[in-house]
Amino acid sequence: MLVLGGAAAASSGLLAACGVGTGGGPAAANGAAEVTGSFDWRKAAGTEISVLQTPHPYQVAFQPLLAEFTQLTGITVKADLVAEADYFTRLNTELASGAGNYDAFMTGAYFIWTYGPPGWMEDLRPWISNSAATKGDYDFEDIYEGLRRSTSWDFKVGSPLGSGGQWAIPWGFETNVIAYNKAEFDRRGIRPAETFDELIQLATDLTDRANNKYGIAFRGSRSWATIHPGFMTQFTREGCKDYTLQGDQLTATMNSPEAVNFTRKWVDLARTAGPTSWTTYDYPDCTADLGAGTAMMVYDADSATYPQNIAGNSAQAGNLAWHPGPAGPDGNYATNLWTWSLAMNSASKKKLAAWLFIQWATGKEAQTKAVQTGKLGFADPTRASVFDGAFKQTLGKFPGYQETFERVIGSTDIKFTPQKQFFQTTEDWAVALQDIYSGQDAKTRLDALAAANTAAVNRAS
Amino acid sequence: MTTTAPPRPSGTGTPPRAPRPVPGWRRGLRPYLLSIPAVLIIVGILYPFVLGAYYAFLNYAAVVPRPVFVGLTNFVEVLSDPVFWASVRVTAIYAVTATVVETVLGVGIALLLNRSSLVGRIFERVLILPLMIAPVIAGVIWGLMFNPQFGVLNHVLGLGSTFDWLGEGRALWSVVLVDVWIFTPFVAILVLAGIRSLPKEPFEASAVDGASWFYMFRRLMLPMMWPYILVAVIFRFMDSLKVFDHVYVLTAGGPGDATRTLQIGAYQNSIVNLNYSQGSTYMFLLWAIVFLTARYLVSVLGKAQRRAAGSEE
Repeated sequence: MLVLGGAAAASSGLLAACGVGTGGGPAAANGAAEVTGSFDWRKAAGTEISVLQTPHPYQVAFQPLLAEFTQLTGITVKADLVAEADYFTRLNTELASGAGNYDAFMTGAYFIWTYGPPGWMEDLRPWISNSAATKGDYDFEDIYEGLRRSTSWDFKVGSPLGSGGQWAIPWGFETNVIAYNKAEFDRRGIRPAETFDELIQLATDLTDRANNKYGIAFRGSRSWATIHPGFMTQFTREGCKDYTLQGDQLTATMNSPEAVNFTRKWVDLARTAGPTSWTTYDYPDCTADLGAGTAMMVYDADSATYPQNIAGNSAQAGNLAWHPGPAGPDGNYATNLWTWSLAMNSASKKKLAAWLFIQWATGKEAQTKAVQTGKLGFADPTRASVFDGAFKQTLGKFPGYQETFERVIGSTDIKFTPQKQFFQTTEDWAVALQDIYSGQDAKTRLDALAAANTAAVNRAS
Repeated sequence: MTTTAPPRPSGTGTPPRAPRPVPGWRRGLRPYLLSIPAVLIIVGILYPFVLGAYYAFLNYAAVVPRPVFVGLTNFVEVLSDPVFWASVRVTAIYAVTATVVETVLGVGIALLLNRSSLVGRIFERVLILPLMIAPVIAGVIWGLMFNPQFGVLNHVLGLGSTFDWLGEGRALWSVVLVDVWIFTPFVAILVLAGIRSLPKEPFEASAVDGASWFYMFRRLMLPMMWPYILVAVIFRFMDSLKVFDHVYVLTAGGPGDATRTLQIGAYQNSIVNLNYSQGSTYMFLLWAIVFLTARYLVSVLGKAQRRAAGSEE
């Protein structure tokens, strides 16, 4: 009896046991002002820093370059890798503990909205503007404007992205566009769709369940990550908005007439021309189906589909091509992005060394080398100079990739309204899509979602 | 030179040497030293439990780094949330179905294996293989097998690429199926061990009296096996109430909330949404459910044991 009760007791204390405590204390002071004098890469020589990373083509490309960083700076980098499925759980726990075990870490932009308000992240803007800490030719403005804006916010409800601190430096990123089986399209004499209605028709025509082929793959799993790639991109292109600011309160508008209409079409598209087990589909499933020749198109990150076209990586390698996807009714190519960025733990005791690492890894020289030598590629570099230089030279066998990128980059940034309850409200959005897919009425379900999300985002503020 | 060895104490004639007296302080310390391991274990369990329970009374979340006491607010919010009650329903259906199916199958397999044969002996060894696989790995394996596009199940069963094992209406039964695959051997092995420990005499006497196999099963074997079956039921039911791993891997609680068990709800609140207090409230309520159920089932087990021993009618 005690054993059984004890087992339950132990599980009920899971959070406490895994180190999530009300620790952390007051946010540490920004360390940039302590760095004075002239810039020198060797200012922190002899230091060892710990970096938390997840296995990813960006990390794979940089791993062999770390020795060069050590040679340049005298700083040793101890990189801990945690699988992506567990990465943010581990990162949350580390940051919440306030222990400062990791000096720098990989993060996505949406996570800033949660990690920033408690003071877990160092504002990097003072570091960038301190000439004693940052080399003169770092050229922060070379990083695409949409990316710089997406990693900056003042944490006030209603404030747009780009206001407030610079909480992370974009390291690699992806735009959400269509990748398609060009060989099959050429064989049939067809072209990618230019409008959303054309895309629906095209995907439906390409679906042949009897031969285990379907028109289009996009994510459908019960996760916030279902919303941000293709769905949010096309949602925005169709003129829909997630929230609007009324006074000092956000109002969820994913139930507006145009949003309901779009959502209904999107879910119908999943049902008629998507993968059968759509509600379990994450990006590896989508891209694997494209590579296997089962899916004719994928609406997801360009960097996720890119490796499928590298010889030896998939059955359809060499047969794939890229297209911006359907334009909105007014011809816009608004595109949502994801960026893996590098950030600094505000509880770090080795902030200068951590900043030198972030500066080096996001700099022109190291990123160029990563593009040239990365085993899994480095799509997409965050610097315009690297994209236009080294990266373009790798795109010869990737038809449409460059044109697609150039078409959307000017209108690519985060299309979500920044808010602190992002993960809960966006996961609930994915649950709503699944409910509609299972037969619930789109209007009723989205009304319920919008009411719940309006309450959630304003309660948090 | 001769030496004379001192006489060895032997036989009953020599009085035993008196033990050295233990100092009083050491005698006083002994109970405390002996209880250290138990205290460590209790602290190891109780500290996170009490802290987790304490969080349930705060408004602690990542975006609220300096939480305050909010009394029963979290409990009121959770208990008035239809999603929580949907999770309770899913958890209850999952636990009852998995336990019943595993028990019936496990007992049946144990009875078959009890008939000594070469096939039985081989099966006995093969049967434990699913138990050797971590449930999270089993989830990954079954996820691949369930895949309509390339999974082996649809291919072998001729279901084509349109039958979705993890779709609405089927997902819950599919995750129960995986649980049954993993844990039926556990029930079978436990019950088989029980059957083999039963006394032979009552069965031999019944056979001499001409009793049929079914009569002996119903009147002798089943009542004597009952405590073993109940132990298996208790273990499986408690585990099923707390199920997380393979369900999360297969469906993450979806489609919609179709497989969102209480543990998945707690995980999503705490780890995904970073709302630690709400996650702790889920866990605290789950603990209460598990504790009360365990208390009831253990009392049933006690009765069954006394009945099997003939000390209670």
